Amino acid sequence: MKVQVKNLRKLFGRTVAVDGISFSFDSGQVFGFVGPNGAGKTTTMRIIATIDEPTSGDVWLNGFSICEDPEQARRVVGYVPDSLPAPADITVHEYLDFYARAYGLRGAKRTQAVAAIEDFTNVAGIRDKLLNVLSKGMKQRVSLGRALVYDPDVLVLDEPAAGLDPRARIELRELLILLAAQKKAILISSHILTDLTEICNGVVIIERGKILETGTIDDVLKKSAPRRTVAVRLLDAQKALLLKELLQTPFVTNAREVGNEVHFELAGDESAASQILGNLIAKGYKIIEFHQTKANLEDIFMNVTKGGVQ
Amino acid sequence: MSLAVLKGRFDNWRQWELNPIVIKELRQAVRSWTVTGVLLLFLTLLFFTSLFFLVAHLYVSGRDAGLGASMFSAFLMMLAAASVCFVPLHVGIRMGMERQQGNPDLLYASTLTPGSIIRGKFICGAYMALLFFSACMPFMAFTNLLRGVDLPTVFGILGFLFAVVCMANMVAIFMACLPASRPFKFLLAMYGMGQMLFLIGPLVYMSQELLRSGLGSMMFGRGFWAWLSTSLTMSLAFTGLLYFLSVALISPLSANRALPLRVYITVAWIVTGLLGLGWVLGSGNPDRILPWTWVSVAVMIVALLATVSNSDQLSLRVQRAIPPGGFRRVLAFVFFNGAAGGLVWASVILWGTYLVMAAQIIPHKGTFLIERNTVLLPTLIAYAFDYALLALFIQRRFLSRLPSKTTGLLTILLAGAWALLPTIILFFLNKLSWTTISSVQLGNPFSVLGPIDTVQQLHHLFFSLAWLVVMTLLNAKWFVRQIANFRPPPPAPPILP
Repeated sequence: MKVQVKNLRKLFGRTVAVDGISFSFDSGQVFGFVGPNGAGKTTTMRIIATIDEPTSGDVWLNGFSICEDPEQARRVVGYVPDSLPAPADITVHEYLDFYARAYGLRGAKRTQAVAAIEDFTNVAGIRDKLLNVLSKGMKQRVSLGRALVYDPDVLVLDEPAAGLDPRARIELRELLILLAAQKKAILISSHILTDLTEICNGVVIIERGKILETGTIDDVLKKSAPRRTVAVRLLDAQKALLLKELLQTPFVTNAREVGNEVHFELAGDESAASQILGNLIAKGYKIIEFHQTKANLEDIFMNVTKGGVQ
Repeated sequence: MSLAVLKGRFDNWRQWELNPIVIKELRQAVRSWTVTGVLLLFLTLLFFTSLFFLVAHLYVSGRDAGLGASMFSAFLMMLAAASVCFVPLHVGIRMGMERQQGNPDLLYASTLTPGSIIRGKFICGAYMALLFFSACMPFMAFTNLLRGVDLPTVFGILGFLFAVVCMANMVAIFMACLPASRPFKFLLAMYGMGQMLFLIGPLVYMSQELLRSGLGSMMFGRGFWAWLSTSLTMSLAFTGLLYFLSVALISPLSANRALPLRVYITVAWIVTGLLGLGWVLGSGNPDRILPWTWVSVAVMIVALLATVSNSDQLSLRVQRAIPPGGFRRVLAFVFFNGAAGGLVWASVILWGTYLVMAAQIIPHKGTFLIERNTVLLPTLIAYAFDYALLALFIQRRFLSRLPSKTTGLLTILLAGAWALLPTIILFFLNKLSWTTISSVQLGNPFSVLGPIDTVQQLHHLFFSLAWLVVMTLLNAKWFVRQIANFRPPPPAPPILP
């Protein structure tokens, strides 16, 4: 495992920010880290990035403990904080060059690495601009460039999409997909769950410093939303009849009209859905649309969290 | 660092690069409006000052034989104000802002070592001071064309001022590294600024004295070189101490933070001690050992407070560095993290300091000062250990839920409480008098420093030593447990296929 978080706990005075959480993910995986404000996401991410130290527990990055070998661990982790760099007296190129030097890149190797990252994050055109005059999206790119300039295996991104316009968000998403294809292990927190659904393989849902759900997206969906919602659209106006029919069908609950469709919840697998479709056709219903509406991260999030903070 | 590693570094000298922090800081300083503004203001002031002196000189009846010296003094005052106040403040504020919680500047989470970060900040401060010195140089060179200034004095004074600026930079960096809140750091910065402003007066006065007497004439005397070497060694020792303290403050908690600090203090203690002995031998006056003695005791009492605040639980990386056995393991116990080893280390240095001072009575005839210190010093040292060991006992036995870093604070609170509370209680009981106070002074280390007679001094000495025996016995079990625990971690179980 590239990233292993074990029994991580962080106290700020008497406040328990992170309460014994454990999860792990591997190279090439993008894990979403979601939770309400004040859930302990940023604290956890800062600990993983070796910026803060845990009260107890540990994190292993490529086998290096952040408590015992923080110097080794930080060689393999790149961190994009939620606050963006804004010094008024340093240019984009100088900023990236400094971090390349700080991570031990020397001479031509450094020059190449900085140029490559400027190209990858598409900031080559603004390399001589001061950081404080950049737009939020551009700062986000520079921040990502800083985290990537020494080619770490693990990336930790704290709210990278916050405040970005739709275009910048799409570009960021594409960059992350590219990075995952380069076998980087990525942990990303965001409140824009639809974005996460598209790029994440797995998810960690946290609230009040405790993990509520963790695993691959499919596993979590199965676990958190065992019922599937099925939508049916008829050619003619037989909705009232169909509703009555469905309510008498075993394993079907909560049948209701939604617009020009009828939705119902089915406590069964796909073969059960297929059987219901066959029955309805056999009984003469003129079905023109029959599809499952899968629960997404938003549904799971709303199901498992209560919106509490420490 | 092994010789092979050092050799490897020198073999690859072509790949050496400047410290990244220096490059970043200088790039930012060049763009900073503050630095540029202060530099421009400084140059303007220099220009108008020289203009004022030259114009005033035209209207003064008779030629001023010391015009060069007068102008030089004025320039020096401005240079001192700019470099001693502004540069350390700039370096300290920048570092303090970077160290604030939640700052997105992530250089402290990069692979730069704490040592290279502090060195980078220090070198950058020195470069900035040089920038101000360079700006002042043409004006100062011009004074040499006038009368009243000699070149060795000019270089001597500038060298001295530069050393003061570097030291002030290190103080600023150390203050910025302290784990304190922003308001507290602001107060510290204001206090530091005030101290620096007060420093300018004596600096300029000393420079004027040097200008008057001329450094060249003093260089042939033995006393000058003795004074110079002592001042240099003391300044270097102080700067080095602050450097190692700053490095320890920004190092990860799991690092062996005590090791470089304890080794450095030990080496500095030996070197400065030899220097003090040199002074005693050279002058035949045993009192010359007292400055070293008191500085050593003061530093080590602070070190003792930090030592008892060390955790009993060594991090795995420190445990891994423990030698398997023999004398090296004993040395490691003394110099590595840990309160128990630290107590041994502090004891050796504190009682060693006392023995070196007391030994001066044997070859030389004991002076009043030395004889008074032979009673005063062991009393103070014993009291320091008494309170530290009492706090250690209370924290480990009764307040173990509190982190061990509170032990130092508890030591101060206990000593302060016993020094103040009896007086306050007696005051409220309306029984406050010299007789009642003196009856409750045993155990109060501050009263030892007051005007007390020899009998009272001896009472304090015997009481503090008896208390020390009791505290040592109370902590003996804990100490033995610490020795037993100080061992390399057991080997990891073999990985099965």
